[in-house]
Amino acid sequence: MGKLSIYGLEASPPTRACLLTLKALDLPFDWVKVNLMAGEHLLPEYLEKNPQHTVPVLEDDEVCIWDSHAIMPYLVGKYATTDALYPKDHHQRAIVDQRLHYDSGPMFIGTLLSLTKPLLFKGATVIEQSNIDAIADVYDVVETLIGDNEYIAGADLTIADFSFVTTICSLMVFLEPDPSKYPKIVAWLERLRQLPYYEEANGVGAAHFESMIKSKNFTIESN
Amino acid sequence: MVLVLYGTEVSAPVRAVLLTLRALELDYEFQEVDLTAGDHLKPDYVSKNPQHTVPTLQDGGAYIWDSHAIMGYLVQKYAKDDALYPREPLQRAIVDQRLHFESGALSVRWKQLKHLLFEEKVTELPIEKLHETYALLELFLDGHEYMAGDQLTIADFSIVTSVSTAHLSIAPVDATKYPNLSAWLTRISSLSFYEQANSTGARRMAELVRAKLPKQFDKLWQKAFEDIKSGAGKM
Repeated sequence: MGKLSIYGLEASPPTRACLLTLKALDLPFDWVKVNLMAGEHLLPEYLEKNPQHTVPVLEDDEVCIWDSHAIMPYLVGKYATTDALYPKDHHQRAIVDQRLHYDSGPMFIGTLLSLTKPLLFKGATVIEQSNIDAIADVYDVVETLIGDNEYIAGADLTIADFSFVTTICSLMVFLEPDPSKYPKIVAWLERLRQLPYYEEANGVGAAHFESMIKSKNFTIESN
Repeated sequence: MVLVLYGTEVSAPVRAVLLTLRALELDYEFQEVDLTAGDHLKPDYVSKNPQHTVPTLQDGGAYIWDSHAIMGYLVQKYAKDDALYPREPLQRAIVDQRLHFESGALSVRWKQLKHLLFEEKVTELPIEKLHETYALLELFLDGHEYMAGDQLTIADFSIVTSVSTAHLSIAPVDATKYPNLSAWLTRISSLSFYEQANSTGARRMAELVRAKLPKQFDKLWQKAFEDIKSGAGKM
């Protein structure tokens, strides 16, 4: 198999989603930190790997792939011994894909990034209440998506859970899901914390993210 | 097997699925979902798609939503070959990245712009963000005829629907600034099924958008008068 390297930042949810996948598949890989705060993602060497200059990037020998939602299926498709994490069944796969696009659209970019970009990269000190309300809207959707299942896309763990848990752990820094309103989300989070590789692949980075955000001492204002 | 597509043609993601259905020459029924009338919020629709977005595809007893998931599903289940959504892991990863780029960079931005225009009645729209996206699409196309490489894929269908709508309304694709993107737009719009599957709907949406904006002509005259008054703009 090729030599795998992950370029990213532990605080970044999509980076952690790929780490969870690599751990779940028990794949060896090199970790290369890309300090976004220091603009390392904008350096020429990085732009060659990923012209969109986001994290993470997966390097497989000489080939570079970016966007966590493309990296995870790639890893499962190329290296997994079963399709459990990304089912081949057409309907099951479509459900996982829909979940992944919910993350890459409304949840991660639409909701989380509109909070973190100003705070972490533009020196903002105030967040609008409407941005916090948007998180509650996301929780409403996720609670419904879980339904009667144990995992985000059905009865079994998939890469959709990795996407969702990493983004939601970061959303939680701004708004904790109320267990009386979102019992399924809370139960599902607890279920994922039991994964043996959870702490290493997500817990540590999620804590970094939390301290980065809290260090900004922002206030929330109603608009 | 009867495929039913729920949606409305002004919606870009609905058109992406229409392009795919046409490309695969699949028979389907189209069920209009009037978003302005709140059809998508009615219990009957929400039971099919709890996220109450359009499009939703019904295939037998299965309901699938998110245009990108639907397109992948249709190719994988019904296409004669994998050309539109290659199975080879690296090729697929490129298509997937483009599809998620559409979800994140294009769709989210377009929704934000529509919200500003239709809900908050803002008429000075921050279209710099769209131009950043155009610049990236220009890069993706470098050395290639299509969004994900040298052949047509569902990534082209996904991206052309939102780009064409923006191009026809608030952010025309300047061929001198974005030669690759402009050529690609021409290339995709010459597909035989493009007119019916995308063009009509994109134009309708563009008209709805332009109706909300002050007449461009008035703005140009206003600037010209200001320039004359200030003495600027003299070559």
